[in-house]
Amino acid sequence: MTTPVLQVEGLRRSFGPATVVDGVSLRIDPGETVGLLGPNGAGKTTTISMIAGLLRPDDGSVVIQGVDMGAEPLAAKRHLGLVPQDLAIYPELSARSNLSFFGRLQGMRGADLRRRVAEVLEVVGLTDRATGASKTFSGGMKRRLNIAIGLLHEPRLLILDEPTVGVDPQSRNAILESVEALSGEGMAVLYTTHYMEEAERLCDRIGIIDGGQIIAEGTRDELVELTGGADTVTLVGEGPLDEVEAAVAGIPAVREVRRVAGEGRLVMVVQGAPQAISAIVATATGAGMTLRDVETSRPDLESVFLHLTGKALRD
Amino acid sequence: MRRVLVMVGSDLRQQVLDRSIFIFGLAVPLALMWVFSLIFAPLSEDLEPITVAVSGPADDPLTATLEDTLAGLDDTVDVTVVEADAADVPGLLEDGEVGAGVVVPDGFSAALAAGDAPQVQMRLPESPGLEGEVVTAVVDGVLHQFTTTARTAAAAEELGGQPQQVDALLAEDAASGPPVRWAQGETADEQLSARESIVAGQAGFFLLFTVGFGVLGLVVEREWGTLARLLSMPIPSWWVPLSKGVSSWVLGVLATGVLLVAGSLLFDDVHLGSPAVIAVLLLAVVAAATSIMFVIAKVARTAEQAGVAQTIVAITLGMSGGAFFRVSSQGVLGDVLQLNPVTALGRGLGITAGGGGVVDLAPVLLAMGVMCVVMTTLAVLVPGRRDVL
Repeated sequence: MTTPVLQVEGLRRSFGPATVVDGVSLRIDPGETVGLLGPNGAGKTTTISMIAGLLRPDDGSVVIQGVDMGAEPLAAKRHLGLVPQDLAIYPELSARSNLSFFGRLQGMRGADLRRRVAEVLEVVGLTDRATGASKTFSGGMKRRLNIAIGLLHEPRLLILDEPTVGVDPQSRNAILESVEALSGEGMAVLYTTHYMEEAERLCDRIGIIDGGQIIAEGTRDELVELTGGADTVTLVGEGPLDEVEAAVAGIPAVREVRRVAGEGRLVMVVQGAPQAISAIVATATGAGMTLRDVETSRPDLESVFLHLTGKALRD
Repeated sequence: MRRVLVMVGSDLRQQVLDRSIFIFGLAVPLALMWVFSLIFAPLSEDLEPITVAVSGPADDPLTATLEDTLAGLDDTVDVTVVEADAADVPGLLEDGEVGAGVVVPDGFSAALAAGDAPQVQMRLPESPGLEGEVVTAVVDGVLHQFTTTARTAAAAEELGGQPQQVDALLAEDAASGPPVRWAQGETADEQLSARESIVAGQAGFFLLFTVGFGVLGLVVEREWGTLARLLSMPIPSWWVPLSKGVSSWVLGVLATGVLLVAGSLLFDDVHLGSPAVIAVLLLAVVAAATSIMFVIAKVARTAEQAGVAQTIVAITLGMSGGAFFRVSSQGVLGDVLQLNPVTALGRGLGITAGGGGVVDLAPVLLAMGVMCVVMTTLAVLVPGRRDVL
């Protein structure tokens, strides 16, 4: 059996009376990309902080490449590359200086350090901007530099905490391509996001986290199976949405229905959407909703999350 | 520990690139030193010459002693004593011909010998100035000495001495020369001239801002996310605050050293003493100032909060430490103030300016050591963010 790069068992952490992470267990093998998918406040970042040794767990264990983080934190951290959610770079320093600085802290030096700096600059497409102060970079370039620092020392485990937040579509695509390439090279990747498209595209397995617990874990197809193959129908428009929600919930084909907070949007898990869509539209308009758009999609992680929690990912 | 130096080097490099250290650590304090020197130093530097009118009975030995004492103050203030009639003294003062008047009543020595309390009038203009204050203090001291001698003699007479012996005692007192003597300060007098006080005070005050550039960077790095990244590195977590402390310390020593050198060169009559001894003083004072910043870094949640707290601390310690005007405190408060880095810098520079060495600085160095221990302990114990402290 393959030795896992990351083995997390029963991780638990409270802040005061609030239990933020409650018994999270996780395993990642070499070359595998595992996603933690959940809404804001689900416990993703706290989980990652404990895995990266930034936060001491109240209970549970983290083992990276066979080294226990609690017992030998420095040895465990040598196998770890962290890309925090914040832009963890020094704005006054150039991309090359940022990389050289963190490389030295990883124990790299000399020609080996210079070679790796050049390589990761190439990987993230910043070779031609290596010497300018990073405070002059665009948001996307800063994000790419943020990732490059995490890759520099060729860690066995790369943790990416929402690496595409606030990034333009072009840069987001470049980042996702970089992550795909890394897992192809055998690196284990733990990727947190609340964008289901990213999780579906990148991750071999996905853990759905909510309320500090992993409520489901598996491949995309395994998770979708949990919905019983139901489709997702989304109604967008204005009107008395509470009444509309109650009305469409009465349609036999509609399994779940949920309003997206702050938006004129109703998301439904529907068995056999092509057959039921006309009844749904008629019911919604009959209840007073003025429709602007109707979207139907095959089962996806959004519908899985809705099915499992009764909440939309963006809630 | 090589990686601590890597962090210190990177931190210092960023401070240089940012340039704020040059503005707040050097340019602003030098400008303020210059302004304060223009405003305050002329008011309090050299005392102006003063003429004192003395009216007293002819051939009275104690009056003659008083005149000699005043005339002998040349080292401190240039006093010219003129004899005048008692009735003329108010007019002389009003006309500005004299800066102070002393009216000694007839029979002054005899009255003192008899145990009476003869009244000596000290007359001053509305704004006597420092010179008038000095003359008043000297006259007061001389009269106090006369009174003490007379009372001692009276007590001796009561115990069986002769009246002639009392007269002899007073005559001996008068002949023994001026009872009040003034002399230039010696080593460890801990006194700085007005200009030197301005240089020391401003250097101490701005030191409390300079040391923030390193340690309070912990708060900024929390916001940037680089602190999380540093803590994910394979290094002991305490190396991070250590490196920030060293950065602060280096910046503080360099900036304060430059300020003291510049102050000495830019202003006349600023002599702070041996550079080597001052360097020892600086190392200790900057370390204490740095330790205060760790407490702020622990409790501040944002960089803005840290900046406000640092300003409040700097102004409080600056004012109580005499950065803007001289402060004297005694008792427990005075002892506590010795832990203030601004006080310690002024006191230490007073010692070095008087020619004192490292041994003379021992109390100041000890106080700064105590301050370091107290503040570092406080930074660890006080409730706040527990990521690195």
